Amino acid sequence: MRLLRLSLQNFRNYVRLDEETPRGVLLLVGANAQGKTNLLEAIYYLATFASFRARHDRDLVHFDAPGWGCPAVGRIVAEFQREGELRPRRLEVRLIREPNGIGDTQCRRLRREVLVDGMKKKLTEAMGLFNAVLFLPRMTELVTAAPEGRRRYLNMVLSQVYPAYAQALTAYRQALTRRNALLKTLQEQGGDPAQLDYWDAELARWGAPLIAWRAEALAQWELLIRESHWHLTRNAETLRLSYHPSFHPLLEGSLQREAENNQVLTQVPVEQIAFAFHRALVRRREEAIARGTTTIGPHRDDFCFRNNKKALALYGSRGQMRTAVLALKMVEMQWMERRTGRKPVLLLDEILAELDAERRANLQAHIVQSEQVWLTTTDVEGFAPDFVRQSTVWRLDAGVVSPVSAGGDQS
Amino acid sequence: MSLPEPIQRAIEAFAALPGIGPKSASRLTFYLLREQSAALRDTLAEAIRGLNDVAYCQQCFNFTEAGQPLCPVCRDPHRDDGLICVVEEPLDVEAIERTGVYRGQYHVLHGALSPIEGIGPDDLKIRELLARVQAGRVHEVIIATNPSMEGDATAMYLHRLLAPLGIKVTRLARGLPVGGDLEYADQNTLRGALVERKEM
Ligand SMILES: [Zn+2]
Repeated sequence: MRLLRLSLQNFRNYVRLDEETPRGVLLLVGANAQGKTNLLEAIYYLATFASFRARHDRDLVHFDAPGWGCPAVGRIVAEFQREGELRPRRLEVRLIREPNGIGDTQCRRLRREVLVDGMKKKLTEAMGLFNAVLFLPRMTELVTAAPEGRRRYLNMVLSQVYPAYAQALTAYRQALTRRNALLKTLQEQGGDPAQLDYWDAELARWGAPLIAWRAEALAQWELLIRESHWHLTRNAETLRLSYHPSFHPLLEGSLQREAENNQVLTQVPVEQIAFAFHRALVRRREEAIARGTTTIGPHRDDFCFRNNKKALALYGSRGQMRTAVLALKMVEMQWMERRTGRKPVLLLDEILAELDAERRANLQAHIVQSEQVWLTTTDVEGFAPDFVRQSTVWRLDAGVVSPVSAGGDQS
Repeated sequence: MSLPEPIQRAIEAFAALPGIGPKSASRLTFYLLREQSAALRDTLAEAIRGLNDVAYCQQCFNFTEAGQPLCPVCRDPHRDDGLICVVEEPLDVEAIERTGVYRGQYHVLHGALSPIEGIGPDDLKIRELLARVQAGRVHEVIIATNPSMEGDATAMYLHRLLAPLGIKVTRLARGLPVGGDLEYADQNTLRGALVERKEM
C-alpha cells in the first residue's frame, strides 16, 4: 500500500502541511530537529495509534501559547491506496488537547477521535487499516535494552496484524491497573481477598489471547528469520528467536526455561492458556498481596535473540546485533505482507548511516521492492547517486517541506 | 481575572459540577446575572437548600423525604418484597422504574467496588443487603450493576456472598441494542449477547 496524500495540522512542529506523496522512495533531507522524524511519527501513528517516542500523546499537539489556543487540535489526515481496492481510503486522527479542569492553561487532557472515510470509528475498528514498518536508529537497543522496549515493539507490530490484539491489550491493561491497585490496598489495609476473583478472571481472559498471539507470531518469525539471517551473514551464523512468556502454561513451576520452545506453545489452545493462567494467578495471590503487584503475565513477557546458541544480548558484538535486528525487520515486512496480503509502507529513520556498505546495499535492494519508502537523512551524499536519482527528494526546514526533485521512475 | 468576586465564586461553583467545564460555568453564571433571571436565582437557591432535607431510606438506601424512614417503593404494599433489584445509584432505580415492568423492591449500593478509587465492600451498602436477605422472605436478588469492569466485579463479588444463602441470584442480560445492526455491534456486546442467549 502507499500514501497518496498526507496532511498535518498542529502536529509537532508542523503547523500546516498538505502534500501529495509519491510512489517509491522518498528521501527526507534536513538538518537535525527540522521535523524529519516527526513526519515518520505521524505516519506510524496511523498504523498503531500510538507514538513511538512521545511519553504523552498530548506532546504531539503543536502548542506553544499557554492560555491561548486551548483547546488545541492536532490532526493527521492520510489518503492511502490499499492493494486490490478500487478507491483510496481516508484516515483521520484528531488529537484534541483540552483543559483538565478549571485553570488548566496547559490543556493537559487529550481526547482522540478517529475517522475512517469521514465516519467516526472506535480506535480498535480503525486498527490494521493502514500498515507500516518502522526502522529506528540505534537499532541494537532492541537487543540490549530492557524488556519493556521489546514488548512495546511486539505490541506495535502485532496490533497491526491481529484485529483484536489492541482491544485485548487495552482490556488487559485496564484489568491489571485495577488488580494492582487492589493488591496494594490489600497489602496496606487488609480486606477480603475474594475481591480479586473478578480481576483474576479478567486478567486470564484478556491475557491468554495475548500470550497465544505472541507465541504464534514469534514462532512464525523464527522460521522466517533463519533464511533472512543466513542471507545477511552468508550462512555463517544461525539466529534463533525465542519467546519468554512470564507465565508459561506448560512450564508452571518449572525452572527449566531452556525447555521453552516457540512451536510447542503454539499447540496449546487459548482456553487452556486462560485456564492455567487463571489458576496460577489464584495460587500466587499471597505472594502478589505481599508484593502489592501482579508478578506474572504478559506485562512481564520478553523475547530473546540467540546467535549460534549464545544469548546475543550478552555475548554478541555490535555488528552481530545490528545484523540480527535487520534480519528481524526484514522478517517483519515479509510477515506483515503474508498475513495481511498487503505490502506495508516502510519508514526508515537515519538507519542507513549505521550500516556498513554490504548491509546497506542488501537493505536497499530489499526496500525498493515496497510500494512506498520514507527515508530520513541529514546527508543525501551518503547515498549512491543512482539511488538518489530514482528517489523523490524533499528538503525539510523547520516544519516546512520543499520538494526538490521527483523520482526517476514515476508512474 | 478582573471579575467581581461573587461572579468568580459562582463560576467556580458551577465548574465543580461533573460535566461542566469553565466555559459552560461562565455561561450559566452570566445567564443567571441577567435581570430577567432574578426569580430563577431565588428558585435555584431554595431548591438547592431543600436538598439538605433529603434522607436515605432505611431499607433500600434510595433517597426519601425527611421524616419518612422508608421510601415510596418500600412503603408500597403491592410490591413484591421477596424480589430485590440491586443497583449502583439512585438514578438507576429511576431508569428501571420507567420500564414499568418491575414490581419488586430495590437496594442501592451507592457505588461499585473500585480498586482505583479505593472503594471496597465496606464502603458500599453490602452488609445491609446481606442482612435484608438473611432476614428471610427474599427469594431472588437481581444484580443490575453497570456493564463496566467495576460493575461486573461488584456483581461477581455479590454473587459469591449471596449464592450460599440458598436464594436465586440473577444478573441483567447484556444484549444487543434495539434497532442495532449485528455487523456493527462491538465485540464485547456481541460476545455478551451470545453467552447470555436464551431459549426461544
Ligand atoms: Zn426504600
